[in-house]
Amino acid sequence: MNTVSLSARNVTKRYGGVVALSDGNLDVQSGEVVALLGANGSGKSTLSKVITGVIAPNEGRLHLDGRAVTFSSPQAAKSVGITAVYQELSLIPDMTVAENIWLAHEPRRWGIAVDHREMRARTQDLIALFAGTVQSSLHPDALVNSLPPDERQVVEILKALSLQPRLMILDEATASLDSRQVARLFELIAEWKRQGMAIVFVSHRMDEIFRVADRATVLRNGASVGDRVISETTEQELVELMIEGMVAPDSVQGGQLAPDAPVRLQVRNLHTDLLKGISFDLHDGELLGLGGLQGQGQSDLLLALFGAIPCGGQVLLSGQPAHFSHPQQAMQRGLAFVPGDRATEGVLLIRSILENLQLPSWRKYGFPLNMVRARADAGQVAQELSLVMESLDAPVSSLSGGNAQKVVLGKWLLRNPRVLLLNDPTKGVDVRTKVEFYALLNRLRAAGTAILFYSSDDEELLSLCNRVLVLHDGRIRAELAGETLNHANLVSASMGTTNASNGYE
Amino acid sequence: MIEAIQSLRQQSAQISPPVVALLLSILLFLAGGLINPNFLNVAQAVNIVRLASFLGIIAAGQTLVIISGGEGIDLSAGAVVTLGAILTFRLSSGQNDMILPALLVVLAVGAVIGFLNGVGIIVLQVPPLVMTLGMTGVVQGTILVLTQGELIGNMPPLLGRLIAEPLILGIPGVVILWVLVGLGMWLLLERTTYGKQLFAIGVNRTAARLSGVRVPFIVILTYTLSGVLAAFGGFVLLGFTQTVFLNLGGPYQFPAIAAVVVGGTVLSGGKGSYWGTMSGALVLTLIESLLRALQLQEAYKLMTLGITLVVLISIYGRQRSVRQ
Amino acid sequence: MNSVALRRIALRHSYLLALLLLLIAVGINFYLQPNLFELRVLNSNLRNFLPLIILTVGQTIVIIGGGIDLSVGAIVSMANAILVTLILPESGPTEILIGILAAVGAGLAAGVFNGLCVAYLRLQPIVTTYATSFVYAGIALLILPRPGGNLPREFLRSYRGAPLDIPLALYFIVLAILIWLVLRSTRYGQYLFATGGKADAAYATGVPVNFVRFSTYVWAGLAAALSALALTMNLGTGNPRIGDAMTLDSIVAVVLGGTRLSGGQGGVIGSVLGVLILGVIRNIISFANVPTWSQTLVDALIIIAALAGPGLVRFLRRRTA
Repeated sequence: MNTVSLSARNVTKRYGGVVALSDGNLDVQSGEVVALLGANGSGKSTLSKVITGVIAPNEGRLHLDGRAVTFSSPQAAKSVGITAVYQELSLIPDMTVAENIWLAHEPRRWGIAVDHREMRARTQDLIALFAGTVQSSLHPDALVNSLPPDERQVVEILKALSLQPRLMILDEATASLDSRQVARLFELIAEWKRQGMAIVFVSHRMDEIFRVADRATVLRNGASVGDRVISETTEQELVELMIEGMVAPDSVQGGQLAPDAPVRLQVRNLHTDLLKGISFDLHDGELLGLGGLQGQGQSDLLLALFGAIPCGGQVLLSGQPAHFSHPQQAMQRGLAFVPGDRATEGVLLIRSILENLQLPSWRKYGFPLNMVRARADAGQVAQELSLVMESLDAPVSSLSGGNAQKVVLGKWLLRNPRVLLLNDPTKGVDVRTKVEFYALLNRLRAAGTAILFYSSDDEELLSLCNRVLVLHDGRIRAELAGETLNHANLVSASMGTTNASNGYE
Repeated sequence: MIEAIQSLRQQSAQISPPVVALLLSILLFLAGGLINPNFLNVAQAVNIVRLASFLGIIAAGQTLVIISGGEGIDLSAGAVVTLGAILTFRLSSGQNDMILPALLVVLAVGAVIGFLNGVGIIVLQVPPLVMTLGMTGVVQGTILVLTQGELIGNMPPLLGRLIAEPLILGIPGVVILWVLVGLGMWLLLERTTYGKQLFAIGVNRTAARLSGVRVPFIVILTYTLSGVLAAFGGFVLLGFTQTVFLNLGGPYQFPAIAAVVVGGTVLSGGKGSYWGTMSGALVLTLIESLLRALQLQEAYKLMTLGITLVVLISIYGRQRSVRQ
Repeated sequence: MNSVALRRIALRHSYLLALLLLLIAVGINFYLQPNLFELRVLNSNLRNFLPLIILTVGQTIVIIGGGIDLSVGAIVSMANAILVTLILPESGPTEILIGILAAVGAGLAAGVFNGLCVAYLRLQPIVTTYATSFVYAGIALLILPRPGGNLPREFLRSYRGAPLDIPLALYFIVLAILIWLVLRSTRYGQYLFATGGKADAAYATGVPVNFVRFSTYVWAGLAAALSALALTMNLGTGNPRIGDAMTLDSIVAVVLGGTRLSGGQGGVIGSVLGVLILGVIRNIISFANVPTWSQTLVDALIIIAALAGPGLVRFLRRRTA
């Protein structure tokens, strides 16, 4: 493998009026691992996709081995040895592992026919790299949609590797891997480094960065703000770079729970495909946190309570059975749900703010709809949320991420919910809105609303919540409150370290 | 990616298709005057609006279905129009006092057909295109079984008077009816919970469901309404044609979809209006009248319709690119 | 055998259900028409099925690639009109060849136009091909204003042959399947399934998604022209609306053959079986003494049942699960 060096300079990417990346810079060369760091929405993924040709930048230059290059497609980037392992998977669900790995560079016989035997053999060799950390169901002929998430991620890594790249970008590639797979990956990365590969490692897990990276480049709000050599820096310093000037969430402290608050929601042995028996109580005026690594069943729990996915077990709302088969029933009983993915689950992008706010509530405006009253009510909520907007008739797509999220929350505030279910509501939201949001949660809590709050941001949970349930593998691994509610406990419970579970069923 | 879609949508929103369509129809009318000076007079204008009324009424249900999204389309509408006309023709047998009972039966039959479409699409998950295309065959088959090839019956004279002839101030009844349908559709889309939920499911069914919208119910209701409106279109059309034949509604199927698209209703759903469809119906009727004034044959008519629609879809209906 | 392996077989060999359905239908047909397997009857049946089979091969490729082509029937009409206009009863081999080349050229041109609209202009396939179908239907009507035309007797007779006592149509069916298998085994085959399976993932992997989409419509255009050739040689005459009903039939056959309408899965073998099922069902309808006026309805109901079948099974399974 020959040497390689790549540098990205002043890369900019805008979507309409929204700037995803304003000044992205990155240098990487053979035999080093550069960590690309930044908070959610800081532009890490955009920058890596520009480098791999998936996204066409508006401005900026790429230099490969000292020469300026532009990639018109992912194929163009691949042909010079640049490839990526993506966070959202790039696999075709209905094709086999081997077909996916070799897609677009299949070994061929007689110049035309795909050589399936050769493809299978080479796939077997690749899988062997992860031998001992994957199940036997991961074989060349397995369909990708029959694999668990961690093995799909492994296939994704092998797919990138099959191109024998000179530069590989690992974009949150460890998020769904278990600890042994991560350890194996890091051994492999060390090996690739020795062979002269250049690696960009995108992650938000600080410990992994310190284990594997040589240097770190930090992005904040779409711009590169610093470069550090890992051996000469500290976790603290990197975090400060990432959030410099930002308000730490603990500027808003959670209030105390009234000791005699009645139980609003009683959950007993709730189970779904992912959840394996969840039990807890949620009190009026309580802000109960859900923690843990992503995808441990937090979303399922919220969706099941809201009647959006089928579940078993017992749920009591104010003492009455509350087993819903459709969100409408949950809504009528005073539940509200703010989904995790705003764009695909929360808002109607092309419809007006007014229609988005009133979507769950139109029924109460009679026939023909009393638009004067609907508009007045929506306007009031918009004001309460200090929504920054042109008018109520502007489409939600004209709003910033934070304001769009306020609309999602606002549509439920119009219904005065008794129980609020929040699925990572501050993801990709700017800091100012976050602070407003925390204040609002506190107001709601003071008014007696029971809030169940999942967040992927540990700091948020620690500073806002009275109590945090840590989920791991579909179970409550720990309940943290008071003294035990600290960062160390949260992290160790998230990892499910208490007993050695190897991920096998 | 989402942002890219937004900017595309915003750009196309600035044009306001219904206004463009209305201007286009005025332009076409004036163009007709250049071809043939006799084209430009009040009687011709009234006649064109009258012809557009039939298309407009038939396209009402199609508008709802396309707004509902999920690749929504109702290709059975043309056949239901035919069935509606044939049933009216047969059940009333030319008696004025049978008009109302016949209408009720016609609407009920339309509702059943639309309901079956909706159930097939939602419960059995047959894509709307295939489901409604298949339903076309069933409706045509039913017509053949029903008539055994003989079209017995008659048009009640009152129906013809109400629909085709000038009713008030020289305005034909069907035009007045069309305006009423327009008002009704506006109420339905903009001033009912159903309308608001219809737009919501057209944009994003997951978000709608998580906001308490019963998506399957709304979809089935929408196809049912489409069936009812198509059957009603057949009833109205009979008042104009005075007689029936086996492919009475067929020629309206494609122009009805075209009218919806020309009027700016987005094919992917969630955005549109009936007054856009009304303007679209005017445009298409004018194109057809112009072609007739030019004495072009059927072949050119088909081609012009096809090309018009391709051009309009390429203006309004482009999908997102795989590369961002 | 574990469930994963079963699922893979169901996905890769989705035609197995169609095969079962075909065997049942053929059994009923044989009961009603005992001479079904005589060479003469078999030849005549396959001759009638061949045009739709060829057309369906094209439709299958489009659908696997994630699209749909509602204009194939109109392209058949157009190519049919060209054939009967250019080839006259007294035409020699050269004129016949020119006629065929013109028809194939027109089919390819129509496919290219569809492909450009859908793949490069990124227009929605359903309504776009529905719209272009009117363009092609218009051209057909322009070339051949009313049904008619006559072809050289020798030319027509060649279609009725049965070399080695095997119906000629069967050679072409096998040829179509072979071409498909070759196509499937190339890199293009992988691209096709990847594009239909998950276009953005395929794009990120370096599959030329737009070109693949474009090419599927060209295949469909070519198939439609060849289908028209078979149809014209079978009927010996022309009709500007001859292909109208074939569009729906081709889609139904694809679905019957186990190919998913949302793309990324399926194959031509299933589609061929799908056409055979459709054809045999129509045989049954005509031999089962179904009253003439009810035949359309019975036919349509069977088609609806076939289309809804997979969904019904899924629905019932959900209910019992």
